[in-house]
Amino acid sequence: MKRAIRTPVSLTPVAATLLGAAAAAWCAVPVIGKGWAGVALFAVIGCVIGSGVRLAVAWIPLSDDTYLLPGPIRAWLTFLRVVRLPPWEEGAAVAALALEALHSARPWHTVVLGAVLTAYLLTVHLADSGAPASTLSPQVPVLAAGACLLALGAGAGMLPAIAPGPGSALLRVVAAVAVIVAAGLVLPHISTRRR
Amino acid sequence: MPGNPASVAVLWRLSRHARRLLTLGLAGIFIATVSRRPEFAGAAAPALLLLAAGRGSRPAEISVAARASTRRAFEGEAVALTVTADGPGVGAEYGVRWTLHPGRGMNPVGSPSADGPAAKLAAAPERWGRRELGSLEVVLRDRWRLTEGHARVNLPRLDCYPHPAQLDTQVVLTRLPNRLGEHAARTWGDGTEFSGVREYVPGDRQRSINWPASTRRGRLQVNMFAAERSQDVVLLADATSDVGEPGSSALDLALRGAAAAARAYLGKRDRVGVITYQWGGAGWLAPGLGKRQLYKIIDTMLASDTGWARGAAFRRLPRAALPPGSLVIVFSPLLDQRFVEALRDMRERGFTIFVVDVLTADPPVRPRVVDRLARRVWRMEQQAIRFSLRELGIPLVHWDGVAPLDLPLAPYTRRPLVPAGHRR
Repeated sequence: MKRAIRTPVSLTPVAATLLGAAAAAWCAVPVIGKGWAGVALFAVIGCVIGSGVRLAVAWIPLSDDTYLLPGPIRAWLTFLRVVRLPPWEEGAAVAALALEALHSARPWHTVVLGAVLTAYLLTVHLADSGAPASTLSPQVPVLAAGACLLALGAGAGMLPAIAPGPGSALLRVVAAVAVIVAAGLVLPHISTRRR
Repeated sequence: MPGNPASVAVLWRLSRHARRLLTLGLAGIFIATVSRRPEFAGAAAPALLLLAAGRGSRPAEISVAARASTRRAFEGEAVALTVTADGPGVGAEYGVRWTLHPGRGMNPVGSPSADGPAAKLAAAPERWGRRELGSLEVVLRDRWRLTEGHARVNLPRLDCYPHPAQLDTQVVLTRLPNRLGEHAARTWGDGTEFSGVREYVPGDRQRSINWPASTRRGRLQVNMFAAERSQDVVLLADATSDVGEPGSSALDLALRGAAAAARAYLGKRDRVGVITYQWGGAGWLAPGLGKRQLYKIIDTMLASDTGWARGAAFRRLPRAALPPGSLVIVFSPLLDQRFVEALRDMRERGFTIFVVDVLTADPPVRPRVVDRLARRVWRMEQQAIRFSLRELGIPLVHWDGVAPLDLPLAPYTRRPLVPAGHRR
């Protein structure tokens, strides 16, 4: 008997914020206190907090007609409108990857960050849509393929270059991207056949 | 059953979720290329695979049917909206979300959004008038919510009628036309209301003999009954001045009162007509019978929602709209002097007029002496207008729009109203 995965909808924003905080902490250690790393860390923390606030107030409806409302209520509605505008989660993902790139090469650490960021975005999506976690169950095969590619990426990162120089490193990146593209081209056909 | 389905084009775009995944994927590939570290490409892989797997053919247009439960509603009455969507994959592969964007003066009842290929939404008009129901936004979402198809459907118009006030009693004339109805007339007839006893004459029915009275008087006495007649009623709604807060303005009260009177008199099988008096002239509807007449009357009154049309001056109310001997019930704030002159003119032509004053607003209170003086002069003018109408023998009552209309009319509904020129 198939059991549906159920998560209380009210806990999903909390889970998303915790995953965002985990991603920020994961990419921050060890802390680099100088240069662009500080800016990137500040951006990650700010975006995760902004995302958490946005998810916390997402259920509050916004009124279009605020002309006759008192000042404090208008200010509150303006805050609600403003906090929903920026793409907080995109900013958090980009800043976390940038912060990770500022560290020295550590392939397994990076792919774990990728997994956490993917989980963060999926949880934010669940919190936004109010859908239960069971809606992700059809995507489990794709996510499993993604996990395999994550491991493959980590392995490619750990392989020593055949020859010294930038060309060899770029070749490894191109190979990793080619694997992803190939998987992306094959997956729609597989999913269509499964339906 | 839903209304006629219409084909609407669907505009597809990435969902917010897909944009987030795309950002993560592109950022990972970009950083991997710039830093020459393939693990970042691996970090981008799950997001890019999810985006790739969500690709598929999407319908360019779908069929949407939207039907309102009624084309006519009273103020505050909820109008149910049944909507259905049909098309390739709609409902199975693509989830449907409906969002109602109500038009001006319409309020959504309950949630303005619903899910599913068939749904029910509701909206209620807050004030009378010809209203746009609004528009309906249809959002199609694929199984993984990576793409969203947007379409918009305009909803039909709605005639919103003023909510009739409570009126269960009627003002009745003493002289009624010789036409069958439900009002007890002062003449004898075959009605059901007992009116007296008289001596038996050959030809009287035996069943009408009043035996107790015959025993007391020693001669045969028969019961007499009042004839039952109907009357012609003309409702006169003054739409020249709309003062007061929207929703309880003079025009709102006039139309609600007129609607209540129309319903009450038509329920008593009277012939009821209407005249709406406005700056551009007068719209009228000749008296008629039946429930359909009620809707015709309200439709005629709704035409007064056209705003300020400063055209030709009003001279005289049309004769075709005013049958001789009819009772004219006027709903007016009595702010326009020309309207008061028109009432005087009607009174001199012999019509029996009954005025319901619906003015509930005063000029604003200001501290300046000149303003207070102007306010006082305005009040005295209003009192003078009402005094002059009473002097002409026109009954005048004030209605605040909150209490039932029966209350101010009570002194006149207990006994028949004497027509003009027939003093007892």
